[in-house]
Amino acid sequence: MSTDASGETGIGDTGIDDTPISADVDPRVSYHLYLDGAVREVADVCFSESLLGVLRDHLGVMSVKDACEQGRCGSCSVLMDGRLVASCTVLAADAADAQVTTVAGLGSGGPARAVRAAFLAYGAVQCGFCTPGFVVAVTDLLARRPDADEDEIREALAGNICRCTGYGRIIAAIRSVQDARR
Amino acid sequence: MIAAGARLYRPLTVADAVEVLADGDAELLAGGTDLVPALRTGRRRPRRIVALRRVLELRSRGAGADTLIIGAGVTYHDLVGWSLSPGLAATARVVGSPQIRNAGTVGGALGTANPRGDLLTFLTAVDAEVVLRGVHGMRTVPVGSFLDAGASPTELVTAVRLPRPCGPQLYLKVGSRQAASATVVSCALVVDRVRERVNCAISGVAGRPMRPLAAEEFVRDQVDWSTATLSADAVIRFGELVTEAAGIAVDPLPDDLLVSAAYRGHAAGVLAARAAGRCLSGPVRSRDASTASVTATPSTAPVVSAPDGRLRV
Ligand SMILES: Cc1cc2nc3c(=O)[nH]c(=O)nc-3n(C[C@H](O)[C@H](O)[C@H](O)COP(=O)(O)OP(=O)(O)OC[C@H]3O[C@@H](n4cnc5c(N)ncnc54)[C@H](O)[C@@H]3O)c2cc1C
Repeated sequence: MSTDASGETGIGDTGIDDTPISADVDPRVSYHLYLDGAVREVADVCFSESLLGVLRDHLGVMSVKDACEQGRCGSCSVLMDGRLVASCTVLAADAADAQVTTVAGLGSGGPARAVRAAFLAYGAVQCGFCTPGFVVAVTDLLARRPDADEDEIREALAGNICRCTGYGRIIAAIRSVQDARR
Repeated sequence: MIAAGARLYRPLTVADAVEVLADGDAELLAGGTDLVPALRTGRRRPRRIVALRRVLELRSRGAGADTLIIGAGVTYHDLVGWSLSPGLAATARVVGSPQIRNAGTVGGALGTANPRGDLLTFLTAVDAEVVLRGVHGMRTVPVGSFLDAGASPTELVTAVRLPRPCGPQLYLKVGSRQAASATVVSCALVVDRVRERVNCAISGVAGRPMRPLAAEEFVRDQVDWSTATLSADAVIRFGELVTEAAGIAVDPLPDDLLVSAAYRGHAAGVLAARAAGRCLSGPVRSRDASTASVTATPSTAPVVSAPDGRLRV
C-alpha cells in the first residue's frame, strides 16, 4: 500500500487514475501459464495485468470472480504452487512458471467434490458469487488441516467474504465433510 | 521467459536484480500484495518491474549465536511457524488473511514502509538491522534510519537481522477487520532477561513505529529481574507513560475519519500495559493467556484478537 502525506494507507484507496495507459508504459507481452494442469497460451496482454485479469478476460475462466481487486474479499482465490492466494494480487506474467489451480482444477472427485456437495446440501451457497473462492480455500484447509476446529476454520477463511450466509451454513458444511471422513 | 527489451525482469540472483535497478526507473515486485492492486488502479506506473519471486537466495532464514537473519523473500506464512522467534511468529500471524500471509514478504513490508506495518513495528522494538544491496555492494542500516530515509530506488533489501529472543515477546494490535484493513494501533513488547531490558514499539501514532523510551526506562527499573515480574501498579504506570509518549510524538498522525489521535494514544497505552502485564507476570503462569483477546475501548474501531507470543524462559 502506498502512503500519502497524512500517513493514510492505500488500503481502502479505491480512487482509479483514469489516465490512458500508453503502449509504451504498459507494453503487451505473451507467455504461457500452467493452469489446472494444462498449458495455456496468453498472447498480447498488458504486462501489468493481474492473474485475475488474465484468467477472466483472456482465458475465459469465469469461476474466478472479480470483486474488490485489492486482495480483501477472496472471491478470486486460487492456489499458486499449492499456496492459497488472491489472484488479483499476483502479476500474471510473474506466474508464468507456477502451477495455478482454480476450483475447476481441484478435481471432480475426492475432497473437492465432498466440499462442493456439502456446500449445496447445507445451504452454504446463496447468491453463489463467493462460492468458487470458498471451495478453493476450504479444500486447501482440509488438505492441510483435516481436523481443524471451528476457530481454526474461521481463521483460515478470514480472507474470504460472504455477504449472504453469515458463515454459519459454511461452517456447518465444512463440519459435515470432516464428520463424514472420520 | 520474457524477451529481451521487455519491461518485466525475472532474475534468478540478487546480483542480476540490482543490475537492472541500477539502470533506474524500475520497481521491485515481491509478493505483489501492495504493488499489483496499485498497478491496477494506476496509483503506480513503473516503466520496468523486477520480479523477485525466482530469487531463491532471498528466501532463506537462519540463526547465528546471537542473531536471526531473515531473507527479504520470506513470507508471513513462513514466519508464523518459526519457533526461533515467537514474537515474530505472533506478529506475522495477525497480518491480513491466509491469502495475504502466503504472498506478502518481509522485503515488501520494508519497501512499502507503511507507518502501521505490523512487521515494521516488531522490527523497531527489537532494534533490527536492514541489509541492503546495490551495485556498489552491501550495507546495513538500523531499521529506524531505513524508515526515515526511505528505500533507495537502486538498492534492494536482501534481509533483516535481529537479536535472538532472550525472554517473553508479545505483539498486540487493534483495528477493524484484520483480513481486509490496516492496523489502527499496535504494540510490540520485547523482554530481554539477559540484558535486563524491556523494549517497546507502538504504531499508529506517528509517521513510523515509535519507541516510548522514557516508559521503557521506567519498566526496566521497576522489574524484579530475579523473577522477571512487574507490580500491578507499575504495569498501569507503564501504560500511562506510553500514552504520554504518544501525545508528544514528533510527527503525530492526525485524526482520521474513524479514529482520533487521542483514541490512538489511549489504545497504545492500553495495549502496552496489557503486553507488559502478560510478559512480566513471573515465570509460572497458567495457560489462560494462550489466546489473547484485545477488548474494545470506546471507539468506532472494533476488536481484533491476537495470539500470545509468550516465550517461557
Ligand atoms: C487485504 C490486505 C490486508 C493487509 N493486511 C496487512 C496487515 O494486517 N498488516 C500489515 O502490516 N500489512 C498488511 N497488508 C500489507 C501487505 O501485505 C504488506 O505490506 C506486505 O508485506 C507487502 O509485501 P509484498 O511481498 O506483497 O510486496 P509487494 O507488493 O511485492 O511490494 C511492495 C513494495 O515493496 C517494494 N519491495 C518489494 N521487495 C523489496 C525488496 N526486497 N527490497 C526493497 N523493496 C522491495 C516494492 O517495490 C513495492 O514498492 C495487507 C495488504 C492487503 C492487500
